[in-house]
Amino acid sequence: MKKILPTSNAIIAVISGLLVLLGYFFPGVFGNIQSVLIGWAIILAAFALLLGIYNLALVHWKKAGAGGTNGINSIVLLVSLGITIIAASLSGPTGSLSVWIFNNFQVPVEISLLAVLAVVLVYAAARLLTRRPKWSTILFLVTVLIVLLGSVPLFFLGEVAPLVALRGWVTQVPAVAGGRGLLLGVALGTVATGIRILMGVDRPYGG
Amino acid sequence: MTDIICPLCGKPNPPELEECRYCQAPLNVSGFLAPSDQEGQENPFILSPDEPDQADSQVIKSESTSALEQSIPDWLKNTEANFLEETEAKPERQAPDDISEQIDSLLSQPSTPDNVTQPAIDDDWLASLLAEAGGESSPLSSQGALLGDIEEPVNENIPQPFIEEPFKAKGVLPPTPVEKPDWLTGLEASSKIKLEGEITPSEGIDQGAGITESIESIETGSMEIPDWIGKIEPEEISSNLEEPASQIAPAELPGWLEALRPEDNVPATEPVEDLSAADIVTAGPLAGLRGVIGARPSAIRARKPPTYSIKLRVTDEQRARVEMMEALLADEQKPKPLPSQPALTSRNIFRLVIAAALILPIAWMIITGSQRVPTPQPGDVPGVIDFTQQVQALPTGLPVLLAFDYEAGFSGEMNLAVSTLITQLAIKNAFMTLVTTIPSGPAMAESLINSSVGLDGNQGSYSYYTNLGYIPGGTMGLVGLALSPKSVLPYSLDGIKVWASAPLDAISTINDFSAVIVLTNDPDTARSWIEQVGPTLKIDGTPLLIITSSQAEPLIRPYYEANPSQVQGMVTSLAGGLAYGLSVGNSQQNGEWDAFSISITASVLIILIGSISRAALKIPITGKKKES
Repeated sequence: MKKILPTSNAIIAVISGLLVLLGYFFPGVFGNIQSVLIGWAIILAAFALLLGIYNLALVHWKKAGAGGTNGINSIVLLVSLGITIIAASLSGPTGSLSVWIFNNFQVPVEISLLAVLAVVLVYAAARLLTRRPKWSTILFLVTVLIVLLGSVPLFFLGEVAPLVALRGWVTQVPAVAGGRGLLLGVALGTVATGIRILMGVDRPYGG
Repeated sequence: MTDIICPLCGKPNPPELEECRYCQAPLNVSGFLAPSDQEGQENPFILSPDEPDQADSQVIKSESTSALEQSIPDWLKNTEANFLEETEAKPERQAPDDISEQIDSLLSQPSTPDNVTQPAIDDDWLASLLAEAGGESSPLSSQGALLGDIEEPVNENIPQPFIEEPFKAKGVLPPTPVEKPDWLTGLEASSKIKLEGEITPSEGIDQGAGITESIESIETGSMEIPDWIGKIEPEEISSNLEEPASQIAPAELPGWLEALRPEDNVPATEPVEDLSAADIVTAGPLAGLRGVIGARPSAIRARKPPTYSIKLRVTDEQRARVEMMEALLADEQKPKPLPSQPALTSRNIFRLVIAAALILPIAWMIITGSQRVPTPQPGDVPGVIDFTQQVQALPTGLPVLLAFDYEAGFSGEMNLAVSTLITQLAIKNAFMTLVTTIPSGPAMAESLINSSVGLDGNQGSYSYYTNLGYIPGGTMGLVGLALSPKSVLPYSLDGIKVWASAPLDAISTINDFSAVIVLTNDPDTARSWIEQVGPTLKIDGTPLLIITSSQAEPLIRPYYEANPSQVQGMVTSLAGGLAYGLSVGNSQQNGEWDAFSISITASVLIILIGSISRAALKIPITGKKKES
């Protein structure tokens, strides 16, 4: 059984991958099979989300049992999870209770986190030269200042056309070039990984 | 029952045993049968008095069927036949018990007294038989009879043959001689002859004496001997036998061999150890032997092991060091409290100053609703005009797919453009189909729809939409949604099968929607929509519009600026939202743009001031270090 299962898993994975891939090239022939297989993957992914929620609750249940400061935080999380589940069960996922919880808890919390992040980033940038200044550090600081000054009209100065143009060049040429390079690398890695899985060399599903 | 005599200890053992029960010596090798009390019943040569006929028949049967009998010569068969005839003819003269006693006396070395002359063979038939077999039976038998008269000292160290020596005379009167049958006497005499004729080891050793005795007995007897034997003097024979090697001439060795000869006289063998005082083994297979090396030497005899103290012998100084080490280890495990820091340090003050410099101006601008900073125009922000035109071109009353894929934290940047879009779609009376690839998307979409202004100018009055909720699998399910939205999201969050009623009953694939508008802050999510759904939308020319944040704008913009473009219109960040609002006639900004502008300006100033001051402070310190 230990020898049969890895082989059968590899066969299933390779055939499924080939059928989905062929569905892109020949949608008329393999389109339906591709849809069925992707539907199965969607169900598994949705179930994985449920498993993630269950695991989160279980971990914090253990931490709450252990006590201490982290235990209090875990208790808060478990209470919030329970209240949200109860509210969504009573009024539905888009009911008034669920929307009230979303507008009065989730949106302010997330916005506050981003606001704190903005303050921390500004503080870090201001102290960046406290350490030994390097050319890379100085270049980073200059780039940040150019992008910020070119994003909006300054409060007292208004829009500075050269800065706006420079900001556009920085964001569209070097930044996109770097980003596209990363994406191309990721894409090539994904293709290589896909080929390895299709050939049965790489078996992330076990075996 | 016949017992087996142990060859080692001489004790009788049952025949079924393979080893002696007393000394464990093996019995089947050298053991021999010993007479027992009921020997006569078991011995096949002895007839039972109760069953003579049966015994006879058994004897006859065994004679006729035995393989050994075939090898017996005819003269011996005739002898046995004569014996049987005589036995049958004279049953009263010799009882079976007598016969058994006589055989026993033969087998068990009967002690015949010395000076007893054995009777001569008086059976003519046996004498003639022996004469035929050996040719000299009469002289030898007479010789055997004469040998009994000779007194000869016997060497006790030499093992004697199994037949008792008939010429031991120690002056003891012999008991009454047992009357033996003629045939037995003859057999006895022949056996003596045969045994004396054999050369036993003892005879080999004491050869000279034996020959001397034979010569003397021959001389004293009346038997005929050859002439050459009579000429030999006994002294000559004995001297020849005693000194055989002295008359051999030494060999002449070559010189080189003489040189190799060792000079020292080394004894050939070790001196024989005197074992007379050694102990006799009393048990085991070597029982009865003397001088045997013990199988269990005294060195490995079990004895009580010595006891050692487990107490560690340490000095007081070593003990003090151990205690010190234990104290150090115990202190290491105890958590040490961190040194208390003052609440107001320069770092904390600097943080508070930065936070105040950012928060206070923003709050002031929001409170006052300032509109000092000029609002960005639609032409200044890329994609806004195209976006506006695509929305304006949407037919009235047809379904539009809206994907709410941005996090709540980006709602401050995104909500302005999204609210304007919803209002425009409401004006168009479009059927908004809401989907999302993030778990918090359904609540976000519902909140924005409820906060938007409807056609009647009231918030939350627009109800021409359906919320299908979360796409199973997130971005993984986009392909399935593009090919068959009915199968991926068959029901709305209210549990209504929306695909069976208008206007979604006309939708089979995603390109049947009049437009697909993606609201996302994540460049990867936007890219998934463009790459997974875009090809399907391109078939019928369904526009793909995107509202995104500033962080995703650089990566999405190439899709918009491409030719042919994969994104037909885009609105980016707060500036794009304001520009889109201006393009549709909504110039209300509520001070958000001024707050954004002043926060960016404050951030730039803080970074500049902080960097310059740090650099200015760093230069003198570095100079001092170089000088030192």
